[in-house]
Amino acid sequence: MINDKNSQKIVDIIQNFARQHSIWVLAYGTGCGAIEIPPTMTSRYDAERLGVRGAATPRQADVLLITGYLTTKTLKRVIRVYEQMQDPKYVIGFGSCTINGGMYWDSYNTIKALDRYMPVDVYINGCMPRPESVLSGFAKLQELIQAGKADGAKKYKENLEWYRTNQKKVIPNWHMPEYNW
Amino acid sequence: MREKATTLYIGPQHPGITGNMMVRVKVEGDTIVKATTEVGYLHRAFEKLIEKRNWLQSFTLLCRFCVPEPDPVEESYARAVEEIEGREVPERAKYIRVMVLELARMASYMLWYGGQAGSLGLYTVGQWSVGDRNYILDLFEELTGGRVYHMYIWPGGVRRDMPEGFEEKVLKTMNYLEKRLDDYDDLMFENSIFQKRTKGIGIIDKAKAIEWGVVGPPLRGCGIKHDVRIDDPYEVYDKLDFIVPTHEGGDIWSRAQVRRQEIRQSIRIIRQVIDKMPGGEFYNKVPNPQKWTLPKGDAYARTEAVRGEVGMYVSSDGGTHPRRAHFRGAAYVHGITLLENLLVGENLADISAIMNSLGTCPPEIER
Amino acid sequence: MEEIKKAAIEKITTHFREVTAEQHNGNRVDFFIGKEEIPAILFYLKDEMGYNHLSHIACVDWLEEKEFEIVYIVWSYTDKIKIFVHTRVDRENPVMDNVDMIWRQANTYEREMKEMYGIEFTGLEAPEEFLLEDWEGPPPMRRDFDTEAYAREKYWERPGREDARDVRETIIERTGEELPDFAKKYKR
Repeated sequence: MINDKNSQKIVDIIQNFARQHSIWVLAYGTGCGAIEIPPTMTSRYDAERLGVRGAATPRQADVLLITGYLTTKTLKRVIRVYEQMQDPKYVIGFGSCTINGGMYWDSYNTIKALDRYMPVDVYINGCMPRPESVLSGFAKLQELIQAGKADGAKKYKENLEWYRTNQKKVIPNWHMPEYNW
Repeated sequence: MREKATTLYIGPQHPGITGNMMVRVKVEGDTIVKATTEVGYLHRAFEKLIEKRNWLQSFTLLCRFCVPEPDPVEESYARAVEEIEGREVPERAKYIRVMVLELARMASYMLWYGGQAGSLGLYTVGQWSVGDRNYILDLFEELTGGRVYHMYIWPGGVRRDMPEGFEEKVLKTMNYLEKRLDDYDDLMFENSIFQKRTKGIGIIDKAKAIEWGVVGPPLRGCGIKHDVRIDDPYEVYDKLDFIVPTHEGGDIWSRAQVRRQEIRQSIRIIRQVIDKMPGGEFYNKVPNPQKWTLPKGDAYARTEAVRGEVGMYVSSDGGTHPRRAHFRGAAYVHGITLLENLLVGENLADISAIMNSLGTCPPEIER
Repeated sequence: MEEIKKAAIEKITTHFREVTAEQHNGNRVDFFIGKEEIPAILFYLKDEMGYNHLSHIACVDWLEEKEFEIVYIVWSYTDKIKIFVHTRVDRENPVMDNVDMIWRQANTYEREMKEMYGIEFTGLEAPEEFLLEDWEGPPPMRRDFDTEAYAREKYWERPGREDARDVRETIIERTGEELPDFAKKYKR
């Protein structure tokens, strides 16, 4: 079909343009950040005008929004959800606690840095980030997609070994299916 | 013919579940025969961390206990600390606190409108009510600096005084919201789908309600008139004139009716509070928090939140840090033992509506 | 109010021998009782005196005294009094009587206490895990469990938090941005 480099480039641009304007977010409120998602989605801030809308199941979603701290119990589910998602897929870390633990720095049950366990494309800082910053996070993600730089999923596949080691360190009882993504 | 029983896992990733929790249901056909909840996905060890913080530092953690309505938790803790120490609260602070609590109640109810209607497929209500909720959050932002987390109610009063011209803004917002509430009613309560899917579903047995520990709107939806604001009045609720609405039936519809009337009572309370607001001090200053010690003792303070009674047990060993702060949210009872009871015999499709009507709030259960 | 409180104290102290009562300001009465009598006193409060709302069960770890304190708080909708029932359990071998046949919701509190403090409740029927999953350490709410050391050992921490410095100073250092005059006043 398309073999030469230049036509591949054009296809990429069209693909990225399309992906950039239909960001479907998985409806999974993993932490307290889920409270600012309804205002972002409803009439005042209306994220749908940017193509951002909710998706009910992982297989239909493009973006996994990690709304806040992850306890080890949730991390296990989140990894499963992430691996079920189809390419292209992106991860947004939402809130200070995904970046460096935030106020839960000495808690025995939450992870302190999300990007050790799964690839993160965009971080939104603040506790709680306002809907405006959520929107700017999505805008940043769109920019990265357009530029072809949102390659977290690729990174995850290439460095799966490293991610698995980190994941297994905090999840003692690892029995999860391998997904054929 | 008897259907074969199947086990289904609803959650934690499920759009209909109110937050990050799981319900394991055993179904025959689509009738639930057994329900088990599994919680703990949000356990952040707050109560452990509070033991490592001093009395004032705890407040940053406290408001994150229940995210949709953080103020009653702060209020309960602040009142428990005041009871242990015997600290006086200025009259003006009491009125401001009541205003903040009622605003938080309204904001939380408006989120509930969206959740309850959304669980039955009426998405427009959510677009309206959650959008209008932003007007209340704007007021919070001006008053406290934060949209969601306020850390505003402190031992000895409130953190700062009301800004200039704030009363007028509150009244203006109330006038606007009062008009909008009628629109929500037309859209939601007049809707025949909403009526059909809520009447006679998720019925709480009136005779057992108190014994099961049902509190708040679910209890008043059974026709039992109990409310912490009148039973065990705190702040200045005994000086205010308001009605505690009840409704017979015990089903989702009656709980919705109770909330529909209660949000109007909140507007009434806020108007009275602004009318009666006294001048003077707003904060009875606490000493340097690093050195501030409380006498040995314990206290339990209860507050009426939208989900029902929330209480905080605080124990002090005479030091600068709390010995123990244990929180009891209404969802602690509603979300586990009551929910497991209520779901039996119901339809699989009604899980989401029942959970929303009970106001199940997982962060409150798990902390 | 005072008469109701006095009547409640009198009723309990005549019915139970080994109990001490304490009066507080407001609508609160405290009772201190041995742990064997707990189901009996709660049954009595609920069935005979109308304290039918279980408001709270809290557990406090008194590490220095080698004891756990368990506090049951019950409320009567008719008397409008809250009664605290305190009891002490040995910390080394904590065993308590299960009370979830009196109030079903006590089951949840007991599951939490079992997991967080390691207190055994005789005859408690509940799943093994409540909030934690695959937990290997000691019961985490016990005061001798150091959450900070555990977190440092188990989780990787992003560098940059150790000095706890003002975030504005870091920004100035990295970007060369000038701090506005009003902000200098609040500098730590």
